[in-house]
Amino acid sequence: MVEKEESVISEEEAAQYDRQIRLWGLDAQKRLRGSRVLLVGMKGLGAEVAKNLILAGVKALTMLDHEQITEEVTRSQFLIPVDSSEKNRAHASLERAQYLNPMVEVKADNENVENKSDDFFLQFDAVCLTCCSRDLMIKIDQLCHKHQIKFFAGDVFGYHGFTFADLGVEHEFVEEKPKMVKPSQEISDGPEAKKPKIDPNETMMVKKISSFCQLKDALENLLKRTPNDYFLLQVLLKFRTDKGRDPLPECFPEDSELLLQIRNDVLDSQGLSSDLLPDDFVSWCFSEMAPVCAVVGGVLGQEIVKALSQRDAPHRNFFFFDGIKGSGVVDCLGVNQ
Amino acid sequence: MALVGSLRKELAEAVASSRVLVVGAGGIGCELLKNLVLSGFVHIDVIDLDTIDVSNLNRQFLFQKKHVGKSKAQIAKESVLKFCPKASITAYHDSIMNPDYNVEFFRNFTLVMNALDNRAARNHVNRMCLAADIPLIESGTAGYLGQVTVIKKGVTECYECQPKPTQKTFPGCTIRNTPSEPIHCIVWAKYLFNQLFGEEDADQEVSPDTADPEAAWEPEEAAARAGASNKDGDIKRVSTKDWAKSTGYDTVKLFNKLFKDDIKYLLTMDKLWRKRKAPVPLDWNEVYNIDFLNAESCDSKAEFTVVGLKDQQILDLKSCAVLFAKSVETLRARLAEKGEKAELVWDKDDPPSMDFVTAAANLRMHIFSMNMKSKFDVKSMAGNIIPAIATTNAVIAGLIVLEALKILSGTVEQCKTVFLNKQPNPRKKLLVPCALDPPNPNCYVCASRPEVTVKMNVNKVLVQTLQDKILKEKFGMVAPDVQIEDGKGTILISSEEGETEGNNRKCLVEFGIRNGSRLQSDDFLQDYTLLVNIVHCEDLEKDIEFEVVGDAPEKAPQKLTEDPEKNIANGSDDGAQPSTSKAQEQDDVLIVDSDEEPSSAVSDINMEDRTQKRKLEQEDDHIRAKRMRVEQPADQDDDIIALD
Repeated sequence: MVEKEESVISEEEAAQYDRQIRLWGLDAQKRLRGSRVLLVGMKGLGAEVAKNLILAGVKALTMLDHEQITEEVTRSQFLIPVDSSEKNRAHASLERAQYLNPMVEVKADNENVENKSDDFFLQFDAVCLTCCSRDLMIKIDQLCHKHQIKFFAGDVFGYHGFTFADLGVEHEFVEEKPKMVKPSQEISDGPEAKKPKIDPNETMMVKKISSFCQLKDALENLLKRTPNDYFLLQVLLKFRTDKGRDPLPECFPEDSELLLQIRNDVLDSQGLSSDLLPDDFVSWCFSEMAPVCAVVGGVLGQEIVKALSQRDAPHRNFFFFDGIKGSGVVDCLGVNQ
Repeated sequence: MALVGSLRKELAEAVASSRVLVVGAGGIGCELLKNLVLSGFVHIDVIDLDTIDVSNLNRQFLFQKKHVGKSKAQIAKESVLKFCPKASITAYHDSIMNPDYNVEFFRNFTLVMNALDNRAARNHVNRMCLAADIPLIESGTAGYLGQVTVIKKGVTECYECQPKPTQKTFPGCTIRNTPSEPIHCIVWAKYLFNQLFGEEDADQEVSPDTADPEAAWEPEEAAARAGASNKDGDIKRVSTKDWAKSTGYDTVKLFNKLFKDDIKYLLTMDKLWRKRKAPVPLDWNEVYNIDFLNAESCDSKAEFTVVGLKDQQILDLKSCAVLFAKSVETLRARLAEKGEKAELVWDKDDPPSMDFVTAAANLRMHIFSMNMKSKFDVKSMAGNIIPAIATTNAVIAGLIVLEALKILSGTVEQCKTVFLNKQPNPRKKLLVPCALDPPNPNCYVCASRPEVTVKMNVNKVLVQTLQDKILKEKFGMVAPDVQIEDGKGTILISSEEGETEGNNRKCLVEFGIRNGSRLQSDDFLQDYTLLVNIVHCEDLEKDIEFEVVGDAPEKAPQKLTEDPEKNIANGSDDGAQPSTSKAQEQDDVLIVDSDEEPSSAVSDINMEDRTQKRKLEQEDDHIRAKRMRVEQPADQDDDIIALD
């Protein structure tokens, strides 16, 4: 698991991480420093998450991706240099990723995650999947859940994006709360002297626990009151399973037709009206939009940091982003309250 | 429908042919540049006056360690070109407030995006964009919180439509006589630095304030005290720096004066200590000879923690005194080296400067029975450091581009203000979009004929004060020209150097200004005219030189809550303001009270440096010259000031 209390933080680290240590504290930084993370899928979203984790100062990050670079990817992936001789997405991203922070061990692996043995995953403290099929995500989540490995998933479809987290049944974390100070010492004139003051400079750590369900359960709960984005996710995951890829701009006519078809199937099978996901959704879910990757990658990256550092309440368990409305919602699905 | 990537063809074309300006290449700026080029923007101008520091590297990902010291704008451009060589980027290592960047310059752009960390520059760009009628996307982050908003002349509020909370200041007597919080001691220590080594400032006195109204049983007594001390010479007459020089900056003498004699003097003002715990003076010999094992330190955290950062240790009393002595000696030597009229500028990244403030502040904290603070914490407060991480900036920069795309689609009406929370609100929203407000018809910047009323004592306020503290600092002008509406068009202040120098030290009354007078103030660069109505007033509170009618009265510092709909610190200043609009955010209620208590992780002390008086830094080995040309240093970590 996470190697805690790895002795002293070096001068170099203290200087570089100064502004974040001032935010989340030294203990959190040390836990990050001892964490190993697996990141699957190095398209636009993957690049953002990689950047965020490397800058945060994890111990090691493995970028796993079996796919080749395509022209589409260079539009939303800033780690791959234009003149790269590497063909594989993970390997092409390696050099620039390492430059982000030489203190992190960054590795690239071009195998297909489907072919990895169970043991492979056990070396990591957190696993983050992007570009994976629904079944694959469910399978890996089950494995992680069993071994107390923090599990994350995320994807971007055009203007939309989502993240999911399964931090296990008993995820422990701390929150920093201000201390209340009794008014004995500094007695100034006036009635305020009697009230306990919040000392703005003194805080205390409060321990808490949060419980997460598995992805399988989260995806099998389709209720009327779930947000549109959740249905959209179901539709897009089904498309990915059926076609083995995501909707492509150059195939817009056929793909949008298929999307509408899948939408009807998904909603009908639950006895729900297709009004819940109006037709125009097809206009907004093609390709990966760079700014949406930035937003979703920022949220996802921060969730991983929180989970590894065990500091601050994690979002439970989905985050849905709609780039058109500018809304970002955290929803709890599949968890029995 | 034809798609280019995710975008509709027409939008993709508008994006490719637009020309945009990014102001700032720091935390938000780096992320923003990346998002822009990946979204298909080609013609980008980026401007930043700063150079790269090692503490930037945890989030300004376009920079590496080898770039420390180099121009942010320049290196940002080079890094971006590596993954997007087709982008056409022009980098300026310069201040956006330089008059070269006039209205014509701004008119070149389809839109402007701010990635700034200080209010002065934001005000300035706000006015330039209004003058040029170019849409502006404004943004800010602090810790886990962030905000994006869109400003379009005539359609939305401008940046200055709603008064922003003014920078927190402390009364002089709190700093000099009755500190009750560590921050008071830290401010005192910074004043002391200036009094001893830097630019002496009448508003930064460190000696006991004999005119403290709280101290006197009878009003006459206060006057008597003040008179007495003047004759004394010790306390008032001789400037602190001159006194120090006369003793050769003798550490022991200095220590005993500041931490013993002055404290003893305070003790004689017994009314102050009727309900407060009285300060306990320190004597150098006693402190220096403390037996460590029997140390009577009030500080309970004196044990060393090996696993912590070196800077996070809290020193014991003796070590503080030693540190004080050491840093005084170092600074004295540095000052001597520079020659006769030399002055040092305080810099949080300069170890002796930081040591000095840490030691002096802690000694004072001890005297006033406060828990001492580590250097790490003192640096945060003294340097006004805003904690910052990559992910917050990444999210905000993403949102900026999404707003930009709406503007380019011609759908400004769909633009929103978006807030990033640390935790979801009761409606589960982590990102909260809100409708934009229409312009404030009484805005003193964007109204058709802006006007304000200011209360002051015309017999006391100097022309210099009007220029620096009122027109520049309060009303955001950079180079004001002021005419008196007296029928003769008398010119009071000219932005041309030297023209009205002679007026500076005169009081307003000497120019016939009195109750009801009107001053026409122009900043031609900003294409901004403000009519200032004068109301003569003789009973303003102590330490207050002027008051803008209509401003909220000075109140307790706005604690930063976890609900960014109320407050956001943008870099070094309090940027966003609680929205007073009734506009509904989608179907939700706009202002929702957060469950969270005020975060202690983010400092709620945000103060702009009083820079007008500050000389430009000398090219000095110890103080890296980070800025090329500065009217108002746009450094994220501006110094704390407290206006007396």
